[in-house]
Amino acid sequence: MGSVFRPAANFWASLTLLMLALAAVAFSLVVWLWPQSDYARRVNSAPAQPVPFSHQHHVSGLGIDCRYCHASVEVSSNAGMPPTYACMTCHSQIWTDAALLEPARNSLQDDRPLVWRRVTDVPDYVYFDHSIHIAKGVGCSNCHGDVASMALTYKAMSLTMQFCLDCHRNPGPRLRPKDKIYDTSWTRDATTPAPELLLAEYGVPQRNLTDCSICHR
Amino acid sequence: MPQVKAQWRSLEELAQDSQFLLRVEQEFPGLAAALAAPRDRRQALSLMAAALALAGAGLGGCDGAPEGHLIPAVRPPPGIVPGMPDYYSSAHVEGGYAEGTVVKHFMGRPIKVEGNPFQPASLGATSPMAQAELLNFYDPSRSWGVTRAKLPRSRSALEQALAEQRARLASTRGAGFVILTGASTSPTLAAQLDALRKTYPQIGWLHWEPIGRENVRKGVLLAYGARLEMKPQIQNADVILAIDSDLLSAAPGHLFFAREFAARRNPTRAKMNRLYAIEAAPSLTGAVADERFIAGPREIHRVLQALASALLGAPPAEAPPWLGGIVSDLKSNRGRSFIHLGPDHPPEAHALVFAMNEALGGRGAVYALVDDPAHVSSDDALSLAALVADMRAGRVSSLLIIDSNPAYAAPGVLDFAEALAQLEFSLCLSPTPNETTEASLWAVPMIHPWEGWSDARAFDGTASVMQPQALPLYKGVEPHELVGLLLRPDPPKSLDLVRQTWKDKLGAADAWTDALAKGVIPNSASSVSNRALSNAAARVQLPEPPKAGVVLLFRPDPYLVDGRYADNAWLQELPRPLTRISWGNPLQISPRRASEMSLESGDVVRIAIDGLHMTTPIVVAPGQSDDCVVALLGFGRRHAGPVGQNVGVDFFKLTGRSCGAPDIQKTGAKEELASAQHRATMSDGWGVYARNGTIAQFLNDPNFARRNEEPQPTFYEWKPEGPAAWGMSIDLNACIGCGACVVACQAENNIPVVGKAEVLREREMHWLRIDRYYEGPPESPKTNFQPVLCMHCEEAPCETVCPVGATMHDAEGLNVMVYNRCIGTRFCSNNCPYKVRRFNYFDFAGEERRAIESRNPEVTVRARGVMEKCTFCLQRIAAARIVADRDGEKASAVTTACEAACPTRAFTFGDLAAKASEVAARRAGPLSYTLLADQNTKPRVTYEARVFNVDEAKEPQQ
Repeated sequence: MGSVFRPAANFWASLTLLMLALAAVAFSLVVWLWPQSDYARRVNSAPAQPVPFSHQHHVSGLGIDCRYCHASVEVSSNAGMPPTYACMTCHSQIWTDAALLEPARNSLQDDRPLVWRRVTDVPDYVYFDHSIHIAKGVGCSNCHGDVASMALTYKAMSLTMQFCLDCHRNPGPRLRPKDKIYDTSWTRDATTPAPELLLAEYGVPQRNLTDCSICHR
Repeated sequence: MPQVKAQWRSLEELAQDSQFLLRVEQEFPGLAAALAAPRDRRQALSLMAAALALAGAGLGGCDGAPEGHLIPAVRPPPGIVPGMPDYYSSAHVEGGYAEGTVVKHFMGRPIKVEGNPFQPASLGATSPMAQAELLNFYDPSRSWGVTRAKLPRSRSALEQALAEQRARLASTRGAGFVILTGASTSPTLAAQLDALRKTYPQIGWLHWEPIGRENVRKGVLLAYGARLEMKPQIQNADVILAIDSDLLSAAPGHLFFAREFAARRNPTRAKMNRLYAIEAAPSLTGAVADERFIAGPREIHRVLQALASALLGAPPAEAPPWLGGIVSDLKSNRGRSFIHLGPDHPPEAHALVFAMNEALGGRGAVYALVDDPAHVSSDDALSLAALVADMRAGRVSSLLIIDSNPAYAAPGVLDFAEALAQLEFSLCLSPTPNETTEASLWAVPMIHPWEGWSDARAFDGTASVMQPQALPLYKGVEPHELVGLLLRPDPPKSLDLVRQTWKDKLGAADAWTDALAKGVIPNSASSVSNRALSNAAARVQLPEPPKAGVVLLFRPDPYLVDGRYADNAWLQELPRPLTRISWGNPLQISPRRASEMSLESGDVVRIAIDGLHMTTPIVVAPGQSDDCVVALLGFGRRHAGPVGQNVGVDFFKLTGRSCGAPDIQKTGAKEELASAQHRATMSDGWGVYARNGTIAQFLNDPNFARRNEEPQPTFYEWKPEGPAAWGMSIDLNACIGCGACVVACQAENNIPVVGKAEVLREREMHWLRIDRYYEGPPESPKTNFQPVLCMHCEEAPCETVCPVGATMHDAEGLNVMVYNRCIGTRFCSNNCPYKVRRFNYFDFAGEERRAIESRNPEVTVRARGVMEKCTFCLQRIAAARIVADRDGEKASAVTTACEAACPTRAFTFGDLAAKASEVAARRAGPLSYTLLADQNTKPRVTYEARVFNVDEAKEPQQ
């Protein structure tokens, strides 16, 4: 009786073992890295909205302040979304029959709210508070990117825990003067006060900002 | 072998029962039982699949894809800022009396009940029932449609039927028509009923409560010839004698009484008062008394006679030997002492006690008599028994029942449901389906009190307007609207009726909004009466006491009351203060009777009285008189929602019968009782956890309770360096064991209920528990309560054993749980000497039949497989520190949910680093001690030991 395996079988067996090992490593890498990738976190993607609202047009073009629509950003954890009524303060006068604005008109007429799709979100066990960040010199664009230049609103930052911690560990370089908070195109330049000065001005950090209990409850 | 302890949690522990000891020493109690449950291949596979899915779910947080929606309002609702809570005043009405509340809203949805500091029956505290009102509001089993003969009918059909009734009422001038409601203090309802009588002079109404205070009312009438209510002013009282009293647990105004009582219980802060309790069945009042004496119903009769003899000069009577000391103490504190008698005693006894109190001279100083705020029935002679007789005889043909459940709670002997079925027209307005809606012709859904306008008065007459907290969730009818429909087809709105009632006081728009904002109507309290005691009161003859050797006593369940809260899962799962039993009402039997009949807790007995019999499990109740067995009412609902139906035994069936001796026979069967008694068996070498001593001990050595308090060296030396050092001090002198803190914690922190089966497996989730320790012989032990929550140890044993860093310390000294890191090893729980960690064995939160809107959005809802525990209400701390940092102000005081709800201010929470804070002062006090100090965990929670104000010269130590 001849041998069961031909000599080439040794090669195939080794190759199979090697491939299995590689596959295990690759699988682990994918499981580890995939969720952190910009693609999985939908960075730069702009979800379709009921009305293709352009921040570029309203903010850069018309000069409407962020707080006109996101009215509670300075006082509450929640920045607030504009009620249909806020849209219609202007659009009952201008572009009154634009087809693009039909959902907004219907909303007011039928008393049915507009349903926007979330662009940025943090998990439910993260308790982010807008008001404290605004008060301490963190600008809108630190997390939302240059919204004023977005024709369609997209997610600009990964908003991973790493992203949050980068700033909570070393807030100084990311703070800005009070009058630049709502300027989403602002970047640090030669005239910006030094990080240490900003930290002192805002009294940051009063707490250990990397404590679990700062963000999680 | 552990030594016999000075304090014991259960009779098994006291007896050093071998099974009990085995259980204490087990590392995983109940593990063997869990493993023994049959498990097949299919189940094993599904468990593996679940484990895989959970492992995947663990990565869910890393998946940043936002799936949610943002739905702004069309028009901005006034006053609502997204992300910020709003508060609206309301009142919790029980037995007709209002307890002021403030409802916390998030985006227009009620999520939490707080007490109203301006309202005298609350003073900022709440009862467990007021807290649990939230679940009643969101209850998915509420009624939502009109039915006639159990078939759905439209609202217009109901209006048609009421139009026919109007025509009939007009032709009969109201004869044969009766409205049955619970006790009421609502001036608006009273005005409506009076208006009805003007139109239909012969219409009747009956304010009926299954467990009412009729005896007290009749007693006042006997003594004073007027409808008055006694309002104790406990802060002025040096000596109080409570006989079978519910002064601190259920009497109208009990939160107020408890606050004033507790204010004079800690000898480091005030001159102590002294409370004597004489009672047949153990009660909260007895548990907190300095000296408690057990007396069966017959002996209490003798006690009352002896008191009458000593204080009123009645003929001498034989008295128990211990009474002499009490009498002399009462007499020597003349003007600063009073007697309180429980509502179970006959009117004559109450009249006698009123006379005694006059003789003790405390009127005006330690108690006042104020006008009774309750509205009266249309006819003094009308009672439920008379009504049922009239129904059977055809003299009453139409009955309108508003928010009352007589088909369940009327004395069984009356057989109300059968009488109801004979009526031509019966209509029951009820928020939930119950036995009476089932038996009535028409069943109409009622709004929840948070969905309409009304008003109510507190025990002292202070009125509150109750405003709607939300639009009706289900299509309910308002009681005021239904009564109005008897007069005209388009009744005035309840808001207009309430405004009409108060137009004199709150006519101005500002006055009205101020009253709503504050939750009380100014200057509406009843006036103090100067009426003199009638001469006959002191000579009233007490009725003969029951002759039977053993008497069956009925008592309301402390949380379900008369069964009205049976559908409330929070209240069902709240361990009863003394028995520590939830989800059931075993018959309570004294230790001696139980051993005579060789019964132990969990044995099922057959109880027969007057030929009627039923089976019920029993529980041995230390400190109960041998002359009685105690049945808690409110359980065994036959027709309720899925939570409350058929839980426990319905003892209402046995009520209303002559007090013959119940015949109790052992059946041999056993039923497991969902008792939290054996749980969390902490141990140290000393065995005294709820430390206490006498006033003499305290005066001799104020530090008597401290032991091993000096911190020992440790491997993990670490000092939190944050700007605040959060800590808590719990005053065991103040704790009365009522359970309000436990429900408040449950509501604030989204703590799920687990149900009886899981409670039996020791898996209840309460972050805060109230341990009950007995001391002394089981026949007559001292009772001590001790709230135990996460101690936030500075050297936390849980943190060093967590393999994934899921439990960490923060800079302000909080021991925090990071739910998303937790992989459920439960090492932390094993290593916690205080046993305060709770594990989600199942998806308890997800399985709850509870609207997601009712949860606190500021607190994570925990998933399956995650450990959780008290966070010191981290969300409240976070809110305060954000405001402080943002607005540059000093951090406002943080109040935890338990602290806010506590009627006696037993909890004090705050910043230990701020030397002026109350918590720092309490912690530095001489009575302050650390629980399990020998563990060297350096807890941030400390206790103040309890001091009994006993006169040791007079009373020999037991």
